[in-house]
Amino acid sequence: MLSIKNLHASVFDTPILNGIDLQVNAGEVHAIMGPNGSGKSTLANVIAGRPGYEITAGSVEYLGQDIAGLEADERACEGIFLAFQYPVEIPGVSNMAMLKAAINSIRKYRGEAEITAADFLKLIRNKAELVEMKQEFLKRSVNEGFSGGEKKRNEILQMAMLEPKLALLDETDSGLDIDALKIVAQGVNALRGEDRAIVLVTHYQRLLDYIVPDFVHVLSAGKIVKSGDKSLALKLEQEGYSWIEDELQQAS
Amino acid sequence: MNIAADQNQSWLEQHTHAPVVGQELEWLKNLRAEALAQFKQSGLPGIRDEQWRHTNLRALKSNLYAHSHGSSTKVSATPNSTTRLVFVNGHFAPEQSSLHESDGITVTDLEQGCRDQSLHLQDHFSSTLPTQQHGFTTLNTAYCHGGYVIYLRSGTQAASVLEMLFINTAQDDDSLTNISHTRNLVVAEANTRCRIIERHQGEDGSVYLHNTITEIIAGENAHIDHYKIQQDSSEAFHIGGVFIEQAANAHVKSHNISLGGLLTRNDICCNLNGEGGHIEMNGLVFGKGRQHVDNHTQVNHLVPHCSSDEHYKCILDDHSRSVFRGRIVVAEDAQLTSADQQNNNLLLSANSEADSKPQLEIYADDVKCSHGATVGQLDPKSLFYLQSRGIDQQSASELLTFAFANQVIDRLEAECVREDLTKLIGGALLHELEDLL
Repeated sequence: MLSIKNLHASVFDTPILNGIDLQVNAGEVHAIMGPNGSGKSTLANVIAGRPGYEITAGSVEYLGQDIAGLEADERACEGIFLAFQYPVEIPGVSNMAMLKAAINSIRKYRGEAEITAADFLKLIRNKAELVEMKQEFLKRSVNEGFSGGEKKRNEILQMAMLEPKLALLDETDSGLDIDALKIVAQGVNALRGEDRAIVLVTHYQRLLDYIVPDFVHVLSAGKIVKSGDKSLALKLEQEGYSWIEDELQQAS
Repeated sequence: MNIAADQNQSWLEQHTHAPVVGQELEWLKNLRAEALAQFKQSGLPGIRDEQWRHTNLRALKSNLYAHSHGSSTKVSATPNSTTRLVFVNGHFAPEQSSLHESDGITVTDLEQGCRDQSLHLQDHFSSTLPTQQHGFTTLNTAYCHGGYVIYLRSGTQAASVLEMLFINTAQDDDSLTNISHTRNLVVAEANTRCRIIERHQGEDGSVYLHNTITEIIAGENAHIDHYKIQQDSSEAFHIGGVFIEQAANAHVKSHNISLGGLLTRNDICCNLNGEGGHIEMNGLVFGKGRQHVDNHTQVNHLVPHCSSDEHYKCILDDHSRSVFRGRIVVAEDAQLTSADQQNNNLLLSANSEADSKPQLEIYADDVKCSHGATVGQLDPKSLFYLQSRGIDQQSASELLTFAFANQVIDRLEAECVREDLTKLIGGALLHELEDLL
């Protein structure tokens, strides 16, 4: 589904990613871990097409297509979703209005008919239940006055509504209490399926107790320096990142 | 004689055949003579006047003006439930108006209102105007020839919206520019309630000058909701004033929406004269092309325990420009005043400009006053957020622009106005989402 080869990327002309290779297949869940400043969030944002995040070398292929030339909205319409680390507040636009605009925009891109008002309401009620979000939140302005946990749940609600093929979750677990974490995990797990892939960017192994990954990658200085299964995350939790750095030094 | 004096003389000559009303009324004749004398002293304002520093009147002054004595312009039929008065080029058009009179409420035109001795308009006419008036205001008093009068007797409520439609047209003779002066009076006695929607319109491309003043006298515990929705021709000059006097516990809301006009100037002033009074001022400007919109507002807190709440937002595209001057004066006696003023400007193009000038003058020591002014562009983070949800850049920009305006639209209680503005500002995408916004 996602094939990243020798990816180099800069954020407003500062090089951050220095040759990433990553293969994500449909049905898989990958966790990207690593110390602060290693480039985890940058990787997620480069894939989503954030302006200012430029690919300087290498390639990102999604469903067999190089996506470098696609705008962020085109990538979203192709099925890529980014759950933001810091969801943006948009006073004056309700959650519902934004989601309806998004769904219809994606449908239009795919040559499908617009969603009916009744179908939309049914869908959003179902999905809101999944993330245990009250109806009143749907009518409120996007993320305005939401707590940190509510914002993250709102990201998962949006993801559930848009049903992406490739979901990128950028530190969705940060700042969540245990109950909110469980709700978020529940939302993500409901999306897991054979034709979907999920990439979790996270600092903590805690999230991985609830969303069990197939692969864990460690990013350091803009490169994947180690890959493994979920046991790698447990080891990182217990021993930190220094042992990987030691390994790397010994190898060189 | 210098150039300015020449110009003022020429202005007066252009008014020689002005179709003034109520000439048989002594009190009105006196008011007009007084105003005329004042105009001869002051003349029209210019760029050297501090209050007009950002608004160049050269184009307005270069025209040769003439009054139009009515027109055959027709408007669409009035919806059944509303009371509507129509004014074409400032003249009352009774055949196009529908009046719903009821006990204690008089809705009529200026001429009838002045003649109706039971309304005692001599006590109210020009009573709200400040001592220092600019030339357009004095000209308006001297030459007003139309407008509406709403009189609510103690304890009455208007059952329906009172809609006032002002339509202006171009002169048939291209070398002349149409001018009209309208004066509106709202007198609300104690414990009254009404909603007034003033609409200002003109055929697009037509050139005219509409000089209009609305005086609102709100008695004790009167609740008045006043909308001014200006959709004049993109070549028109609109000079407006809304002057409000509030007694104890009166609640007035002044909503000032400017979408049309080439040059618009509004002076909106409120005196809070009785304790417990509350004034809400909402403003929305959407400028395009070379439009220039200048809003000067002033709230005078003269007694304790009053509150004012002001939100003006301007969206400026192309080469458009807005000026906002918001003055709040809290007199020495006006303790426990609560005043808030916000002016936010959104620039959609590199060539647009916003000038914002909040002015707080506080002479009391136990008050809560706040103000804020911002000028900015669409937030790239918000744009990316919407785009990452599949919404294309153009639609995302429209959505965010509307969201900005919606923070004022949301404050308007009249549903029909909210719907109109959503259509006018939101475009197709927003129209479709209307029920969800």
